Amino acid sequence: MRIGEVIGTVTLNRSHPSLVGASFKLAVPLTLSNLSGAAPILGEELVVYDALGTGIGSRIAISEGGEAAQPFRPDMKPVDAYNAAILDQINLDDSLNT
Amino acid sequence: MQVGLVIGTATATIKHPSMNGWKLLVVQPYQSDGRTPDGEPVLAVDSLGAGCGDRALITSDGKGTRTLLKSDTTPVRWSVMGIADE
Repeated sequence: MRIGEVIGTVTLNRSHPSLVGASFKLAVPLTLSNLSGAAPILGEELVVYDALGTGIGSRIAISEGGEAAQPFRPDMKPVDAYNAAILDQINLDDSLNT
Repeated sequence: MQVGLVIGTATATIKHPSMNGWKLLVVQPYQSDGRTPDGEPVLAVDSLGAGCGDRALITSDGKGTRTLLKSDTTPVRWSVMGIADE
């Protein structure tokens, strides 16, 4: 899971039948320099399936790839980015920023 | 598996139920030379008590993490499976 910041919402006009009623957020993955505030966020944003009702600007844990579709087992959903958690706090040890 | 430096911890109250009770570490993976960072920091589930500054061995084996968390539906992939001595 990567740390991402929610920058927007995505609503689908037409979608795969299994995604009816799903809510999606637009999130951008954060690099180490983004987390320590040293650089602006320039990552490529991705659409994340969100079942936790996340607000804009909050930091989330983006699960990607095969693990993103695991929570829907046994039924299958074409999801490859899933919001696993809304992060309350990220405590970075600044002395380690190599 | 990859060697990474544990650079912090993360807390989350609203999360996938399978993650309840598990510590979340922010790990910066390193390339094989052990110095140059490799991609973005990842969140890994920790059962070994790795702390900040430790060189953790993280695995991206989803199956292993699913058995570790005893949940077939967990979205977690990375888990700490070892702490390197040096």
